[in-house]
Amino acid sequence: MASGHLELLSKMSGHLAVTLNLEETIQKALDLIVKFVKSEGGALFLLEEKFATLVCKASAGPVDIRGIRVKIGEGIVGQCVTENTSRIVRDVQQDPNFDHSIDESTGFQTRSILCTPMVVNGQKLGAIELVNKHTDDGLFSDTDLLMLQTLASAAALAINNAHMAEELVEQERFSRELELATEMQRSLLPVTPTEIYPVAGINLPANEMSGDFYDFFELEDGRIYFSLGDVSGKGMDAALLMSKTASLFRCLGKTIHEPNVLLATINRELCETAIHGMFVTMVCGLLDQETGNVELANAGHEPPLIHSRDGTFTALPASAPPLGIMSLQAGGNGIREETFNLDGGTLYIFTDGVTEGCLEDGSRLEQTGFQDIIRERSDLPIAARLNAVVSILSDTGRKRHDDITLLAVKDPRPVLRHDADNDWAEMVARFTFPARADALQSVREVVNDACETCGCIPEDATDIIIAVGEACQNVVRHAYKGLSEGDATLEIYCKDGILEFRLRDSAHPVDQEKIKPKWPKELGPGGLGICLIHDIMDEVEYLPIPEDKGNLLRMVKYIKRKDSYET
Amino acid sequence: MKHEIVEKQGASIVVFNGEIDLESSPAARKTLLKCFENNRNVIVDLSAVTYIDSSGVASLVEALQAAKKNGSLLSLAAVSEPTRRVLELARLDKVFSIYSSVDDALENKS
Repeated sequence: MASGHLELLSKMSGHLAVTLNLEETIQKALDLIVKFVKSEGGALFLLEEKFATLVCKASAGPVDIRGIRVKIGEGIVGQCVTENTSRIVRDVQQDPNFDHSIDESTGFQTRSILCTPMVVNGQKLGAIELVNKHTDDGLFSDTDLLMLQTLASAAALAINNAHMAEELVEQERFSRELELATEMQRSLLPVTPTEIYPVAGINLPANEMSGDFYDFFELEDGRIYFSLGDVSGKGMDAALLMSKTASLFRCLGKTIHEPNVLLATINRELCETAIHGMFVTMVCGLLDQETGNVELANAGHEPPLIHSRDGTFTALPASAPPLGIMSLQAGGNGIREETFNLDGGTLYIFTDGVTEGCLEDGSRLEQTGFQDIIRERSDLPIAARLNAVVSILSDTGRKRHDDITLLAVKDPRPVLRHDADNDWAEMVARFTFPARADALQSVREVVNDACETCGCIPEDATDIIIAVGEACQNVVRHAYKGLSEGDATLEIYCKDGILEFRLRDSAHPVDQEKIKPKWPKELGPGGLGICLIHDIMDEVEYLPIPEDKGNLLRMVKYIKRKDSYET
Repeated sequence: MKHEIVEKQGASIVVFNGEIDLESSPAARKTLLKCFENNRNVIVDLSAVTYIDSSGVASLVEALQAAKKNGSLLSLAAVSEPTRRVLELARLDKVFSIYSSVDDALENKS
């Protein structure tokens, strides 16, 4: 008996070792036990429903009772588990605890029962029950019980392993699905085409899935639709609502070209299929690349900031509550639309993960910290500015609790437009003069007056007069070779802190190589003039002239103005 | 631009008045070079110069070179603010001997 016992144990262990499938494991184990203990049948029960019910998971013998449920404490098997004891019932008819209902429903006749609980590390898993011994007297012996207990322990261990394996597989499946979902969600975010593209965004989720989103795309008329949103909550449900909202934006935005109407429409969709207690804060806007105009609507989102060219920040608070809560109308008291011109500045939209993000010392970034980071990097491309914010918040060695999402929209126009009709800036002077030395004094007077008109400080005016004087002098000396046979025209444009000069002549095109600033070794007047121009002006370039011959020199000076300089 | 020449303590003091630009710089150049023909030291009073361009600066540089050639001295005195700015931008403020007044210049010459 003892050697057979060992043989069975080793056989069972062999079977149990190769399979991690729970169902297969317990069926095999039960079959072996039933066979070895020479029983007519047997059943293996596992605890389910928070350990309140035993469910038959494997069954051997003439009737299949898999799926039968027994409450713990009830019947012989229920009692064994509750009391954590084994039982030999030689005649079930004499045992008041025997539950006849199973026999009645199956037609099977139970005479004797051997039952033992399965426990691993003190944790109850279920029980194994054998019925009706084959041998002559048909009764289970104490040796049978001992053997069942040993085999049940082995089976319990195997079941436990299979349980853990299944959990592991489930976990892996989930993590793979999460990976796919993360990838899918990331693919919803647009990529900034080039460094100079006027819109850029960044999203860094705290976990695999993000409840934040941003998006932008170009309409056929060249305007750029942009949006940023934050879904309440942080779980998978938030991520799914985020995906839905982002899709609605992209889909409806193609036809609805008013940001506030678009938000109202998205709101209607979200309300129709409201998920209890969830809402979305969202900003969306349209950028006109030609004019720098922005139409913006804000539903419950943290105020976006405009960083103006003069360095100041202006907040644009929300006019409407978040989306997905109640019906909202576009315009009026509902979702209003703001229209403004970027005017050389940049618009920043961000989620509260940014302002509430933690710095290395544990303090929160806040809006002031955000403004400092941006201000220090305003000469970088917009994407690099956003990256800087994200790396400051993510390189702290601290666990982040919220997603970080930012969107920047900059004025797409060059500082001053290069085309001939500069309608963006105001023309303050236009002066045509004969290309002669004796006309230069009048040119200087015109420049001086223009500087005065634009409010620039005397020091700047002095310098500008020097530079423009040199440029005009070069036209007289070089372009016309000192022969008085042509005119030149000086146009002066002014916009805020910028003065632009366009000096046009109709002489032969100058050799660009010769007019690069090189400090002359031999001090002579020619090269010196060019150097002075480059020293004083912030931008100097010759613009191409499509029709007829001549040169068009463009010079730009960022001036300090009397009014802003004094404060 | 107008100019005036005063002889004082063995030096020629050239006083320029107004703007020295492309139009007037040839006259300024001629005036300065003529002074060196007499092997005299020259002090240029720039207090009344309201504007000077690169051609004016070139005249001063040429005068400086002429002075060195014949062993005379060229000094700039009472340099007006616009002139000082151009000399500074042209990195020539250290090339010239600059004095705060004509009298200072004379003192250092003697």
